Amino acid sequence: MIYLNLFIQFFHIGLFSFGGGYATLPFLYHIAENQQWYTIKQLTDMIAISSITPGPVGVNVATFAGFTTSGILGALVATTSVILPSYILVIIISKFLEQFETNQNVRAAIYALKPAGCGLLAAVAVDMFINNANLPGMFLLAILFFISLKQKHDPLFYLAVSALVGLFAGFLHLTA
Amino acid sequence: MDKSFYSIFKTFFKVGTLLLGGGYVILPLLQAELVDKKGWIDSDGLCEYYALGQSVPGIIAANMSIFVGYKLRGQIGALAAVLGIVTPAFLAIILVATMLEEIVHLNFIQSIFWGVGIGVILLVYLATKEMWNKSIVDKFTCVVFFAAFILSTCFQVSPALIIILSIISGIIYKKHIDAKPKKEDDK
Repeated sequence: MIYLNLFIQFFHIGLFSFGGGYATLPFLYHIAENQQWYTIKQLTDMIAISSITPGPVGVNVATFAGFTTSGILGALVATTSVILPSYILVIIISKFLEQFETNQNVRAAIYALKPAGCGLLAAVAVDMFINNANLPGMFLLAILFFISLKQKHDPLFYLAVSALVGLFAGFLHLTA
Repeated sequence: MDKSFYSIFKTFFKVGTLLLGGGYVILPLLQAELVDKKGWIDSDGLCEYYALGQSVPGIIAANMSIFVGYKLRGQIGALAAVLGIVTPAFLAIILVATMLEEIVHLNFIQSIFWGVGIGVILLVYLATKEMWNKSIVDKFTCVVFFAAFILSTCFQVSPALIIILSIISGIIYKKHIDAKPKKEDDK
């Protein structure tokens, strides 16, 4: 039964998340709140881990969620389910490529989809911010924010800096 | 050029292995492998698939791989490409997840995750900012942004429902806009 549930949840992520990368995040967040598969804290860890492992973040988190809930088979089911809608849709669209690109309704849908996806992600950002609102954390976030204003860096750079600061803060017992 | 299942799989497996830190790097990676090395498609074609990959739901890297794989060898090519791009990600996570169970209780690992959790907030903020720049182009898109934001934060509406509502509103809005100048012509 857990496999069917995994299939349904991740298939619907694959079907409704637009904009790639972190676009799957609002859905994964919603799952964390409504299923007992993983906590928000675990999801945050997963995002960090998927940034330092190969492959698209969306696939990484699907594999991770499947694995933590029900082992290798769960990982296989979740990963396949998140990719399956893409596979079906892309094959269909490939066959009608010209009609798809010039269709007015498709264009109108994409025009409205993008800001909606952005709004969903902004909601996640705000929620994560509120959940982590302790003083040392906000201090670290402020530092990272100012670094990001000065110059554009690779995501790995921010994670490396915050990992080091976390290690240091751990020694000073600031992370509780 | 050799376009067998195995050679397509191998090429995308390589790209999948090098795909670190989010989807932004997929375009230069595919450019290097498919255009420069293999000559399977040209640069313009690849950019078109990149744009198309973003207008289909799901993970952009996977969408792009399926598009390119399908162009190369139909269904077989699409399957080879998507398996190639996903397998490294799958194996890496299984490996990490297995190791993580052993070490996650250690104090210094907890400290690292505490720090990294803060870093992730910044990454989500940066991703939001980048999406904002690409998607908020006028008043209507701005309204959709705030509607989605408020529905999600204040009313916990499911993301899928918000996406469906945005599609419907976009189509209605465009129809409405297109209908307007015609009415003025009638006058």
